Amino acid sequence: MGSISLTIDGRSVEVEEGTTVLEAARKAGIAIPTICAHKDLNPYGACRICVVEIKGVRGYPTSCTTPATEGMQVTTQSEPLRELRNRTLELMFSGHPNSCLVCVHREACEQYRPTATKAARSTRCGFCANRDECDLREMALKAGSNELHLPTLYASYNLERDDPFMDRDYNLCVLCGRCWRICEKIHGQPAISIINRGKWARIGTAFDKSHVFSGCTFCGACIDICPTGTLTDRFARWQGKPEQEITSTCQLCPEGCSVVAQVKEGRLLAYTMTEFSQEAGLCALGRFGAAQILANANRLTRPLVREGEDLIPMDWQGTLEVTASQLAQHRGKIAVVASASTSREDRYLYGQLASQLGGQLITLAVNAGAEDSQISSLMQSVEKGAITAVIVGGNLVPLELVTRLKCSVIIDALPSPVSEAANIVLPAAILSEAGGTFRNAHCRIKPMAGCSRAPGDARPEWHILCSLGQALNLRSFEHTSVAGITPAIVNDPPPEPIPGNPRQNVRELATRFRGHLLADILPSLGAFGLPATPKTAVTEPTGAGFTITEKKEIAPNMHFFKVVAPQVAKFAQPGQFVILMAKETSERSPFTLVDWDAKAGTISLVIEEVGRSSRELASLAAGETMAHVSGPLGLPLAIENKGTVVLGGGCYGIGAIYPLARALRQAGNRVICAIEASSSYLLYMQDTLAEVCDELIIATKDGSEGVRGGIQEVIAQVADREPVNQFIAIGCTFMMRMATAVSKELAIPTLVALNPIMVDGTGMCGACRVTIGEDTKFACVDGPIFDGHAIDWDELASRRSAYARQEVQALSQQVDLTALMHQAQGNGCSCGR
Amino acid sequence: MPSEQHSLEAILSQYAQNRDSLIPLLQDIQEQFQYLAPEAIAAVAAHLNLSENDVYGVATFYAQFRFVPPGLHHIRVCEGTACHVRGSDRILESISRSTGIAPGQTSEDGKFSLERVACFGSCALAPVVVVDDKVYGRMTAPKTQKLIEEKK
Repeated sequence: MGSISLTIDGRSVEVEEGTTVLEAARKAGIAIPTICAHKDLNPYGACRICVVEIKGVRGYPTSCTTPATEGMQVTTQSEPLRELRNRTLELMFSGHPNSCLVCVHREACEQYRPTATKAARSTRCGFCANRDECDLREMALKAGSNELHLPTLYASYNLERDDPFMDRDYNLCVLCGRCWRICEKIHGQPAISIINRGKWARIGTAFDKSHVFSGCTFCGACIDICPTGTLTDRFARWQGKPEQEITSTCQLCPEGCSVVAQVKEGRLLAYTMTEFSQEAGLCALGRFGAAQILANANRLTRPLVREGEDLIPMDWQGTLEVTASQLAQHRGKIAVVASASTSREDRYLYGQLASQLGGQLITLAVNAGAEDSQISSLMQSVEKGAITAVIVGGNLVPLELVTRLKCSVIIDALPSPVSEAANIVLPAAILSEAGGTFRNAHCRIKPMAGCSRAPGDARPEWHILCSLGQALNLRSFEHTSVAGITPAIVNDPPPEPIPGNPRQNVRELATRFRGHLLADILPSLGAFGLPATPKTAVTEPTGAGFTITEKKEIAPNMHFFKVVAPQVAKFAQPGQFVILMAKETSERSPFTLVDWDAKAGTISLVIEEVGRSSRELASLAAGETMAHVSGPLGLPLAIENKGTVVLGGGCYGIGAIYPLARALRQAGNRVICAIEASSSYLLYMQDTLAEVCDELIIATKDGSEGVRGGIQEVIAQVADREPVNQFIAIGCTFMMRMATAVSKELAIPTLVALNPIMVDGTGMCGACRVTIGEDTKFACVDGPIFDGHAIDWDELASRRSAYARQEVQALSQQVDLTALMHQAQGNGCSCGR
Repeated sequence: MPSEQHSLEAILSQYAQNRDSLIPLLQDIQEQFQYLAPEAIAAVAAHLNLSENDVYGVATFYAQFRFVPPGLHHIRVCEGTACHVRGSDRILESISRSTGIAPGQTSEDGKFSLERVACFGSCALAPVVVVDDKVYGRMTAPKTQKLIEEKK
């Protein structure tokens, strides 16, 4: 192909024929903004952000779809282009949550809330997992405009959380089409497509089938290519942007695919494709499974040595000495069993150990378990007394084999009945925690990067085996690095391939890892029909529970509950709260009482879905029960006639101010209720509140309804026109902090209801400690209502975020997360918009 | 139903196995069965070597395709410009309310199905409702209510 020359912004560029104007500009180092264009996708021309001016061409063609021609004169920056791009962006934002971009408090909010809130629905940047990586947000911030001239239309599509690995929120989708295009490119027949048309066009599957049945292979390419927060990896979603991306090899099955390990703070977030192509495709296990196996809460973290009935934790030195002395007594009668999903170095060392100890080495295929024929013959040798000790790298032998032997050493990462019955358990670092090389079923040798941290005292197997060899005084075990072992390996055979193609069919994934059934480690894999150990039914201790009589998502993320709790309803007073547990195994979490009816014996609550406990509660439906409702807790608000009282509520606080407003008004106060939300579609209970106050003032951060701004603007405006005798704010820490700063300046007596982390709610644990002036108080028994001008907000904010990382981990834990999700009914949330 | 299966296969066999056949094939199937069932979409996808999602994506783009069997009485409400300005929105809403179905749906008892149509070309009679190919002009919400009551 010949080359052509063209001029872009006055710069002359030489490119191959067939190059698009966009590619030519990039080659010349000229940046043209785009959303739908991606280097690994064919030109599509959907977003129209990349428009340019070309001399002699009418209008504003999209540079991504226009081929460069000889002598072409292109302009990429001009006033009309800037205007066009901004208008296009505005149109996109009309259908994409945008309030954070136009919010007058954005800078302060980002300072005080550096991490996004892990909400169910991302109704703004501050609630979006993709905040730090969002192309759209970056573009909008660059454009610099904080005015949107179009209304925000929230589509209210249901969240899709019905498959094992992905969270999909099409309310954030801008229809750039990157996801289905990459799906088509990699798989030929896409598992998703644009369905419907016009206003109702969205990405979906045929007849809205779950992705488990739509032909999706869960390669994760759509997630990795999505420019917005629409498609997310449920496990990695809230963990933030990866700090490192390291090329490595997945060893979960004999395919040994090349991967890019995304690592943050020493933890693996995901294995992703090395490039967006069919050849580089990954299976669900590699893409999503690896990181979740490593993060498993049951990982073995300390060496354990048997003392009678118990396995006692011991240091490595002591454990190795005990192990060596025990094994030394069985020389010549030792069997070593390893899995094919170990590195070449590990298998070499297992082999050395076996041969030097005069024993036999058994290597099991990836999908093989204790029923393998090699294991049956091992069992026979044990019965005959020919084998008296075993070293097993996984859950690879039957329990009875271990119980029959006096000496059994298990080197593994996860517990199993076998490790629990063993004499010695050595915790292993696995996958991205251990380096080395891997020979795949296609005979290729690939490097594995040790790039994430192992939990506790777990060590790579090569390290364990070298130490063990040295403790046994064996030859050539003096290696200090895995790279030192590699050259010694000769003629290692490739592992046996697994049947089927896991990259094309999720029902053909490897079934085991180190002998453990993968569906036991990651229960959600059961959705693909992977075998799991039958569970003995866990019977939850069933108290009567507290019946939910009414449940509704009244605004995105806001769930209204009416619960039968007669004792609470009988004694409740304004300003008090209850502690709830969705299930017997749930955490306790506090929620303000919104209303109660002593006669009917019911209480009402508004629960915002922003974490694991609230998600468990939000997943309950009317007719079901909550395991525990304890309360009423905390000191009620002293109801006095003060004159004019302004009540400010944001988020869950909109509901929480309701009982205060009612009581204060009955006591003769002039009550002004002020409520804030990011955008008008997030408001709720306006009518109910209006009934119990003299005036209802609405504020929205994007100005879509009422005052533009928040409670802080409203309190200033009200104080400007009439004297305010009391101000009470309930909502997020940020809102209360900002509003109290204003009320302090205006010298308005102010109360706030604090929301620190709380455990028992009865003053015992001290988790809810707050500093009020000079005093230390417990929010549960001394509060939750305190003088807003005396609070140490920095301390409150830091104590509230003390467990941020654990909260994220808890959210993504495998435990029944998918099972918790009811298929939502109807068209999205019931906010009616 | 074996006979339907048979005729679905018969329709498929008349079309070349490439993407160009997609829309004529869907039209032919709809003419035969009055709607595109999930099984029909799956069969078309298999015949043309496309993904079901892709076929469904194309089919849902066109207003002419239905995905549920039509009711005994098929009601079409014109939403064209002339009808729109003369209040067809309210007519559609009133029909939705009295039949309990949204456009594109069929009532549970199978009596009614509802469809939104761009223009019938009877703008002089706006707003227009067509029930089972009979045109009713100058409609109002009460008139449509009455019409539905009669058909119930």
